[in-house]
Parts: sequence; C-alpha cells; structure tokens
Amino acid sequence: MIVDSKQPQVCVNKDARFTFEGEDNLLIAMEKQNIDVHYHCREGFCGACRTKICKGKVEYVIDPLAFIDDDEVLVCCCIPVGDVELQTY
Amino acid sequence: MKYTTFNQQAVDTMNEPMFFGKPVNVARYDQQRHPIFEKLIEKQISFFWRPEEVDVSKDRVDFLKLTDAEKHIFTSNLKYQTLLDSVQGRSPNIAFLPIISLPELETWVETWSFFETIHSRSYTHILRNLFPNPSEVFDDIVVNNEIKKRATDISKYYDDLIFYTQIYQTKGEGVFEIDGHTYTVNMRELKKKLYLCMNSVNALEAIRFYVSFACTFAFAERELMEGNSKIIRLIARDENIHLTSTQHILNLWTKGKDDPEMAEIAKELEQEAKDIFMLAVEQEKEWATYLFKDGSMLGLNEEILSQYVEYIANQRMAAIGLGQPYATSSNPLPWMNNYLSSDNVQVAPQETEISSYLVGQIDSEVGADDFEEFEL
Ligand code: FES
Ligand SMILES: [Fe+2]
Ligand SMILES: [Fe+2]
Repeated sequence: MIVDSKQPQVCVNKDARFTFEGEDNLLIAMEKQNIDVHYHCREGFCGACRTKICKGKVEYVIDPLAFIDDDEVLVCCCIPVGDVELQTY
Repeated sequence: MKYTTFNQQAVDTMNEPMFFGKPVNVARYDQQRHPIFEKLIEKQISFFWRPEEVDVSKDRVDFLKLTDAEKHIFTSNLKYQTLLDSVQGRSPNIAFLPIISLPELETWVETWSFFETIHSRSYTHILRNLFPNPSEVFDDIVVNNEIKKRATDISKYYDDLIFYTQIYQTKGEGVFEIDGHTYTVNMRELKKKLYLCMNSVNALEAIRFYVSFACTFAFAERELMEGNSKIIRLIARDENIHLTSTQHILNLWTKGKDDPEMAEIAKELEQEAKDIFMLAVEQEKEWATYLFKDGSMLGLNEEILSQYVEYIANQRMAAIGLGQPYATSSNPLPWMNNYLSSDNVQVAPQETEISSYLVGQIDSEVGADDFEEFEL
C-alpha cells in the first residue's frame, strides 16, 4: 500500500487506520470511516466528543472550552499534526 | 465573616481559590486565575437569543391534533422544565455569589443565571400560545406531586449551602441553636456543602433536562411542535455550556488545581457525589414512567428513554471522574444529536449565511425538507 507521507495517518482504537485528508476536523474524518464517536455541539463546548490521544499531536481550529484531561482531545474542533493514535470512550 | 459588596483590602486574585477566599472587589479580567470562565462568558453571550424571535404560532394547530396522552407528555415536560429553570434562574446567584472569590467566576455565574431567566421567559412564550389561560399550567407546578418530588431534591443542596453561608456570614464559625435546631458551622462543613451542591447542580445540568428534550425532539421528528423544538434547541445549547462550567469547577477541585482542601473533600465525598448523580438518573427514569402513564408517543417509549438517560449519564459521570456505572454504551436515540449540535440551531434557509454565533429571526416556515439538510 502506498501511503502519502505528508498526510497524517490516524489510528483509532488500534484497529481502524486511515489517512486524514484535510477534513475540517477529526470528528468528520472519523465519521467518514463509520467510527462511532459521541458528539453534541460539534463546536468544542460540550465535551461529548472527548477522545483519548495515545500518540501524536493535534491543533485546535476552534478554541476548546469543554473540560479535557492532558491526554484527551475534543475531536470536533481539532485536526491532527502528524500521525495520531486515538482511543474513543 | 460579613459579606461586603466591595472589599476594601487589596487582594491578589491570582492566589485566591474559586470559593471561600477573600471577598471580591474590582470586577477586573486583566488577570485571571482560571481564564476558562471568561471564555465561557464570551461563548454564552454569543448565544444570546430572545424567545419572542421564535414563531411558535403554528404549534397551536399541532397541539390540537395531539392525543390526550401526547398532550400530557408535552405539557408535563414544560412544567418540569419550568421548575428547573425557576431554580436555576436564581440559585447559582444566591448560593454562589456570596462565597465566590474570583471576578471571572462571579461574572460567569451571573451570565449563566441570566440565560436561565431567558429559558423561563420562553416557557411563558410557548404556553401563552397554546393555552387561552396558561395560569392553570403554571399553578399546577407547585401542587403536582411528581414535580414536587423532584423540586425537593433539586433545591435541598442549594438551600442547605445558602442557609449555612448565611449563618457563617452573620455569626462566623461555631455551634448555633436556631429555631430548635443545632447547626455546626465551620469552614470544612461549608466546603462540603458547597461540594455536594455543585454536584447536584452538575447532575441537573447534565441529565435532568434530557428526558424532556428527547420528547420535544421526538415530536419534531414527526414535524410536530416545531416552534417549541427550536426554542428547546436553543435552551439545550445553553445547558451544554452550563454543564461544561460545572464540570470545570468540579475537575479543578479534584485535580488539585484550585483549593487543596476541596481536593480532599472530593475524595472524601466521592460516593455521595455518585449517589447524587445516580439518584437524578433514577428520578429521570421515573419521570419517563409518569410521562407515559396514559400511553407513549411515536418513536419513544419508557425503555428507550431510560437507556438514553443511562447513556448520557455514563458520559457525564466519566467527565468528572465518577466512572461509567451503566451498561448502555451506544446511543439508543442517535437522531437526538441532530438537535443537540449547534450547527443546526438555525434551520431556515435564509439564515444559512448567518454565522453560527448569531440567532436571527427564526422563521416558522419550516418544511420537512429542512430536516434533511442536516449534514452529519
Ligand atoms: S461535540 Fe461538543 S465538544 Fe466536541
Ligand atoms: Fe436553563
Ligand atoms: Fe442551565
């Protein structure tokens, strides 16, 4: 399989692997892969999309207001910077 | 310790805890111990809306078409929500403002309460349109046993904290005999009452609205009572941000990022906090039983609603470190998310250019097609 090295690779729950293709945020990218992610607001203030980040970094496109721990991200308002490994709750 | 509206001593709020530190003086936001609260203020204000902007006149026709069982569901939910917002429109102010030590948190609480008063006003707007005499509906709220049962549990933690604060702020610490009851007032006790109260408020914002929300949106799925549904969507968006604020407060405490004594208390009272939450879950399920006593409504039944409450409770409890005690792990009502997502708050086509922060005039001409435009 040829992988475009510039596009971040996303791994979710150790089994789903896909390339992030510049979607507006990780939530949209995960939904495209039919991964079940909780959400309500889709705007960073409710916390429903809280997801564990095991490896890698993200960048927020909307300021996240909901509470998250140091090892968690709000997928509705961030994009990956490089490869990431996530774990949904 | 007497409350003062303007503490004349200089205070360094960067070193004050959220509650029970030195009283506030200058309402300044140039330096903030917990900047999240100012962000929440900004976000909440950007959501400003007026009930009168939402045209609910079409709902009257729909309401007449509902079965008696459905009318009972619809009206009872509005009564319960009226109770919840009556409490929330005043209590955070009365309970928390006298003991808050940070200006950004003080202003957040005032902003939060103000939005709850918008919610209260919106219920009158809805009911005026449906009933020639809405007074009967409001009057029933204080006599209806099912609602009263909930009111007791919702207000008792607030009332307790308020009363102990009043004693403390007039007489200081000590053991006091008032109207034949003995009250032991000390800082540890006050902080415990604050912790339990905050957990009760958190549970209220987290799940107490969701059975009603589900019913409202289930009507809307059938293209019924859509004016009401638009109002409830705006309310739900606000409730989400209120919940975020109480989750922040609780987590700042438990993670030792504020008052170290509160971190101890959080550990000590963890089980009680869980119990408060799980009792609220049980009461919501009982509420579903009461709603459906004369028959259920299309798309919803007691069992699905109970599962939904558990599903939501798992998420909300996990968010404050209380684990996921319920077995339900997938969303039994996936369509609820369409109504809870803030992108979809404006549905009328002419509003698509308006940024999602603004709520313009909301048109009543919404057809079935508009709901198909939701992008998920
Ligand atoms: S869906 Fe609300 S914070 Fe992500
Ligand atoms: Fe409210
Ligand atoms: Fe609220």
